[in-house]
Amino acid sequence: MRKTMRRRTQTAAVLCLLAAGMTALATPAKAAPAERYLHVNVEDSAQGESVKVNVPLAMAEKILPAINNRDLHDGKVTIHNAEMNGVDLRALLDAVRTAPDNEFVTVKDKDSNVRVAKANGNIIVHVIGTKSNQQTVDVTVPLKIVDALFATAKDDQLDIAAALRALSDAGDIVLVTVHDSGQKVRIWVDSLNTQE
Amino acid sequence: MILLGKIVLGMAGVGLAGASILCSEGLVHVKVIEKQPQGVHINVIAPAMLAPIAVHLAPQRDLAQAARRIQPYMPVIRAALDGLRDSEDVVLVEVKDPREHVEVAKSGGSIVVDVDDDAETVHVSTPVRAISSTVEQLAAVNSSPLYLQPAAPSQQ
Repeated sequence: MRKTMRRRTQTAAVLCLLAAGMTALATPAKAAPAERYLHVNVEDSAQGESVKVNVPLAMAEKILPAINNRDLHDGKVTIHNAEMNGVDLRALLDAVRTAPDNEFVTVKDKDSNVRVAKANGNIIVHVIGTKSNQQTVDVTVPLKIVDALFATAKDDQLDIAAALRALSDAGDIVLVTVHDSGQKVRIWVDSLNTQE
Repeated sequence: MILLGKIVLGMAGVGLAGASILCSEGLVHVKVIEKQPQGVHINVIAPAMLAPIAVHLAPQRDLAQAARRIQPYMPVIRAALDGLRDSEDVVLVEVKDPREHVEVAKSGGSIVVDVDDDAETVHVSTPVRAISSTVEQLAAVNSSPLYLQPAAPSQQ
């Protein structure tokens, strides 16, 4: 009699465990936000060298405020007046931000053509080397990131940590590409943990 | 006979529990293969928990200088290790040239460094938790005022 009772209790316990397991499996897991990565790729085809760096942005966001060195404190970098050359960066960027999509600067000289424009919420810098210098540089910075740089910082500071957070929230984006005869450099952000 | 069985079972249990505790922080794996014909082959797998224990048992006076040096960087080291612990598996850095291949990755809770060049192949894998415990142990040496005193000049 006691043996039968014990067996029934054991069977009930096993069934309870199974039911709990099935319930856990059936409950959809709360989707965690995909981790975002800052990728840097440098390829030197002439030397046969390549460097690949993949930094989880969440990790960078944690590390940056911990660095307190020279002009970088709490994720904010201080720009001294001398480096600003009397230019009111905030006013300048505010003017760019509120202006319609347009080409702001075009410089042509014997070595390069430089173009600075605003398009689709991004500031775009495009440099094309001419003749002797066959280098092409493309820089794309979303205005959201520029805003974040200035949002919480004091007048003479740039909030790098906030910019990193904004970069995490921005979609997949190619920030910098540099091409010349021997080297290619690419910096971009996406959700992949590889560069394949 | 039953008593003997119980003793053996108890000893096996204690051994298993000890091994589990020792390996609770994972394993450190170091592998070095020299590519010369008579080259050295080293393959060491050790419980990572031994590293903080070794720091704890090492003469504190010898560690004081290292501890002092590491102290200013502790917030950054803590943040980096914290970030690494939380991140997914990822190849953090990969450098390739015709003669050398270096890779630093986070894999399964460990930091893995692989170097492959003309002379040798090196593989080092260390659990992030163990690095964290060891560094904290090292930093704690500094908190003892005894070891903060500069060394007294020797009297000759």
